[in-house]
Amino acid sequence: MIPQKFDYAVPKNLDDALQLLASGAKPLAGGMSLIPMMKLRLAAPERLVDLARLKELNYIRESGNELHIGATTTHYDVESSALLLRKCPLLPETAAAIGDLQVRNMGTIGGSVAHADPAADYPAALQALEAKFVLKSGKAERTVAARDFFVDAFTTALGPDEIVREVVVPAEDAATGAFYAKVEHPASGFAVVGIAVRARRNAGRIGFVRIGVTGVANCSYLAAAAEAALEGKLGSDADIEAAAALVAGGVDANSDLYASADYRRHLAAVYAARAIAGALSRCA
Amino acid sequence: MRISGSYSLPLPQERAYQLLQDPEVLAKAMPGCERLEKIAENEYRMKMKIVLASLAGNFDSKVKIADQTPPSSFRLLVEGSGRPGFLRGDGLLKLTPTGNGTEVSYEGDVQVGGTIAAVGQRLLDGTAKMLIRKFFESLSQTATAASA
Repeated sequence: MIPQKFDYAVPKNLDDALQLLASGAKPLAGGMSLIPMMKLRLAAPERLVDLARLKELNYIRESGNELHIGATTTHYDVESSALLLRKCPLLPETAAAIGDLQVRNMGTIGGSVAHADPAADYPAALQALEAKFVLKSGKAERTVAARDFFVDAFTTALGPDEIVREVVVPAEDAATGAFYAKVEHPASGFAVVGIAVRARRNAGRIGFVRIGVTGVANCSYLAAAAEAALEGKLGSDADIEAAAALVAGGVDANSDLYASADYRRHLAAVYAARAIAGALSRCA
Repeated sequence: MRISGSYSLPLPQERAYQLLQDPEVLAKAMPGCERLEKIAENEYRMKMKIVLASLAGNFDSKVKIADQTPPSSFRLLVEGSGRPGFLRGDGLLKLTPTGNGTEVSYEGDVQVGGTIAAVGQRLLDGTAKMLIRKFFESLSQTATAASA
């Protein structure tokens, strides 16, 4: 339970951090995934750069019709942000469902998305929000959409010398309803299945819907077939059932001792129905 | 843990079979393979370095090819161990010709033990699928590059 010896550096600022990373150091954010791995000696980085100490990456700001969240913003900061609760309630609702309070106090949004655990909560909401990630290296900065960012289990579009600098989500009005429904693994708190839904009505009918899915497969995704099935519908129980059944259709679902692939697909349909109904009930 | 799946290779059946037995091709396609050496007829020793998220582990493994019925099937026996844990696998690969290539289907049983199995159980299935997909993707790339 004691990690191997490693060097630890606290960078003065972001440029300093990027320079250290370019020399081969491993970024440390909240440490909620990396530190346990190091204690088990499954990970043995020689040098850590502590990004969580970078105050310049800890912010939640509104600009135009977008909300910008710095990478080292903790889950608790997201969960309790008055600005997010008003303008993008799906994200605080999702953050509040992550792990336990200790994890939410330490874990960061940038660390979570860069780690890309297939059962992490955030990816469901970030897919549904069609979030953008600002990635930065010592040389350049680029913006990648959520659907291109998450590639596979623990695999993202991040280059070896890049970090997530910021997460950008849309500022929503009251017409948009959102809901996150999750089956929590009883021991780890990870999402066995997590479904985030955003919806808007247009003259009584569903005019817009996004369904983000995590936990089911190696990579989070938008359930396009289910979205298409809902658009233009009134959102009756039968409409919701029919669309929810499509959420995990044709998906190569994962299986473990807790939940088989078939059970995961079944849970996805049940919880998608709950999340869709929940989101529609919250549309103004 | 049972694993099964299939992958389409853009190659005729004979050629696909031949590639899947070629140690040089396998060494190139196997994710994280650092060295592959022949220790006996149809038996190889392989050094692999698997890097996944914060996890990095070196594995020493033995790969044996058995029950060869060219060009339609063979058995693959893998035994490996390293700091993160150990694995033992036994799989049957079947090659079926399709219109424009070959469908390779695999079915097998993998046992994983040690630290990695104790703490990473929920990730084994997904990781195995990802590594197998990477293997076939890189195999079909190698093959198309060689025939071009």
